[in-house]
Amino acid sequence: METIPIRMDRRWLNEFEERMETDSGWSTWDRFRLALDAAEAQKVPDFDTLRSLSTLQGLTPLPHQVETARRVLGEMRGRAILADEVGLGKTIEAGLILKEYLVRGLVKNALILVPSSLVLQWSRELNRKFQIPAMAQKKAWMWDRYDILVASIDTAKREPHRSKVLSRHYDMLIVDEAHKLKNRRTQNYRFVNEIRKKYSLLLTATPVQNELSELYNLVTLLKPGQLGRQQAFSTHYIAGKRKPKNEEQLREEVRQVMIRNKRSDGHIHFTRRNVENVPISLYPEERALYEGITRFVKDQYHNSGPIKSLLSLIILQREVCSSRDAAFLTLFKLLKKGVTGQEELPPDVYRLVNLLRRVERQAKVEEAVIRVRSLKEKVIIFTEYRATQDVILRHLAAEGIIAVPYRGGFARNKKDWMMELFRNRAQVMVATEAGGEGINLQFCNHIINYDLPWNPMRVEQRIGRVHRLGQEKDVTIYNFATQNTIEEHILWLLHEKINMFRMVIGDLETILTEMGTEGDMEQSLMKIMLESEDDREVRRRLTDLGESFSEARKEAEIKKQEREALVDGTQPG
Amino acid sequence: MEPSQVKSFAERYLDAFGCRIIEQRPGLIQAELSVEADPDLVHRPFYWMYVEKMGLNPQTSTLTWVFDREEAPQGIPAERLSFGSPRFQQMLHSARKHGRFIRLYEDTPRPVRSRAGSKPYDPWLGVNYRISYLCDRKKEEILHFGIHLRTGEIIENFYSRIRDRNWNPRLPAHRHILPPLFTVAEAVGELEYNLQGYVEQQDMEWARDAKEQLNRELERLHAYYPEEWRMSDELHEEKKQRIRETVWQYHPRVEVEVVNAGLFYLDTPPV
Repeated sequence: METIPIRMDRRWLNEFEERMETDSGWSTWDRFRLALDAAEAQKVPDFDTLRSLSTLQGLTPLPHQVETARRVLGEMRGRAILADEVGLGKTIEAGLILKEYLVRGLVKNALILVPSSLVLQWSRELNRKFQIPAMAQKKAWMWDRYDILVASIDTAKREPHRSKVLSRHYDMLIVDEAHKLKNRRTQNYRFVNEIRKKYSLLLTATPVQNELSELYNLVTLLKPGQLGRQQAFSTHYIAGKRKPKNEEQLREEVRQVMIRNKRSDGHIHFTRRNVENVPISLYPEERALYEGITRFVKDQYHNSGPIKSLLSLIILQREVCSSRDAAFLTLFKLLKKGVTGQEELPPDVYRLVNLLRRVERQAKVEEAVIRVRSLKEKVIIFTEYRATQDVILRHLAAEGIIAVPYRGGFARNKKDWMMELFRNRAQVMVATEAGGEGINLQFCNHIINYDLPWNPMRVEQRIGRVHRLGQEKDVTIYNFATQNTIEEHILWLLHEKINMFRMVIGDLETILTEMGTEGDMEQSLMKIMLESEDDREVRRRLTDLGESFSEARKEAEIKKQEREALVDGTQPG
Repeated sequence: MEPSQVKSFAERYLDAFGCRIIEQRPGLIQAELSVEADPDLVHRPFYWMYVEKMGLNPQTSTLTWVFDREEAPQGIPAERLSFGSPRFQQMLHSARKHGRFIRLYEDTPRPVRSRAGSKPYDPWLGVNYRISYLCDRKKEEILHFGIHLRTGEIIENFYSRIRDRNWNPRLPAHRHILPPLFTVAEAVGELEYNLQGYVEQQDMEWARDAKEQLNRELERLHAYYPEEWRMSDELHEEKKQRIRETVWQYHPRVEVEVVNAGLFYLDTPPV
């Protein structure tokens, strides 16, 4: 074979000779040895070992993540589609691969394109978990200033950013949510295609959503020609929209550029979820208030009285199940509305305020205190309402139980601080927010749903904060439900009809989409609650809703199996 | 690097760079950095610019490090120094930057009889090379060469052969250096020639593999894009770019850099 080019760096020689001439600037023996030891420590001794593993602080990647990184660097040589199912840590895999190339000095600059909502999260994770100095791209001047940038793909593809990006060479390009590149006629696809890059990772949990051609486009973007020309691909592999032919061969081709870990592979052990429903019976005063409000809501609905916003009506009913204080705030607003409108204050609102005043003890918060005390372990309590959050915190404090609040409105630092307090000092965290980044509470394994969101995605987000990769114990979910109220109906739907508390979020999202408009559960439930004449009707309509959920679930499952069959050889069951 | 190795490296660094150790316990070091070490380990360029402009006495940073998660003492704000921590990487970088070139005279502890006249030194040039074998992957090795500046004799592992000797940065009294017959530049030429021979003798399986991969990838591109005359300008440009990227990614090559180098004046030949 022909010889390999060798480049000898000789720039040092001038410096060396200069020192000889001036007889100055010599280093010391200690420092000379130190420098050599440093070089030894930083040396990359072989082609294959993952050097980055020993540099990670406070993160131990799971075996399947390490294996993925190994295959991408080795077999796939730095160009791959990472297509793990949701929740298996694609970000960790990508971070690990990037880190390895950085440690080896094979990557000096990198661009990470993500949906704008994930820019901050990505840059934080890369910094925190991998000590990769990634910056979130905000201003146009930043393109030239930083080596590792996380940017929103929608920003990057527009001027003045676009020409900046396209004028550079990137050692590595990472695209998250890469299924958005499935159509080669879109601006996104063409933009990513134009970027000059050496290594490239495309991340998506759904490499095929509807058609085989999506997979073709994705693979072609990564490695043009891997699946041949479009025409040849169609004749050779496509039998119908979602029906492939020559499957074995197709799979083999795809396997060379794509890695897909699945939950069912079993290399990840998820602990169990236990569910305990805690029925709460209201005190008579609370009961009276609930009945009063329910009647008020129904009256308003039927008479279309002065308060027209149906939303606030239903919210009032939900709030009163949560706490007196939560309902009070809304009632107070209704009252004020009346005053500013200079109308007669509705007498029934006054009546409600009076009922509210009579409530002194609240059964639910008392139950919460008892639970927390008897559990003796860390507990996170989720509520939908700020006012309720205050009530719970007050009662816990009165009993000498250390608890911290957590809200969406907190600044980043405060959120981190509260997390630290909860981890190290407090027994309880009372949170109004479950979504968003950063709350990872694997060290806690009790969740109290003090009240329930009507949107199943939010329920799942709550549980997902605790029941996730890294949780070592079984997780117990306590659902508080006041008896004979709408809360009980909701719990019945979520728990009995759709088995909410045992599912995983990826599936849920698809199912809700599959349900169409009905999939907007909050809307559907509100309608049912308002329109139904009595509990019997409520139950009947909830049963229907549950049925269509089950249907959608089956449908989603079939589609999923068809896709799986395409991308990783699982036979449709 | 294990925590104990990180710790001993940090100790040597602090010592070599004149930092003041305030507290030292198993698993913990607290030190006030020297003016030389501070800018390398603590990133505050504006401060140093300001100190210089105003001609002030600089206040250097005091850092506290722990090395092992288990041994870390409670209640003291400290950062963990491990192989992967950015601070330690800065320390490695700083060490390499400041330990590049030396000139040393062997210090032999025995009475020098003035009557015998001046005793001569043999001049040697020692160079530590880092060789990188590169394609889409990478492997490195460090070689320690030495060349006798009078005979041109080249020996491997020069560094480890002279590592345990004692050194003096100044030419001791009653000593002189035998005049070199090779200039440093000539000697370096010899070393590089020798190095090339070394590299060519290595197992080049990796390079053959990369070359084959490169050819396969290029073939794939040629098969994928239509014939030249059918392509639009845009597509033509795209193909050219893909080819450039592929070559960039895979082409095998070897890069040689110098870690550090020194003139060593020896009493006895290296063994």
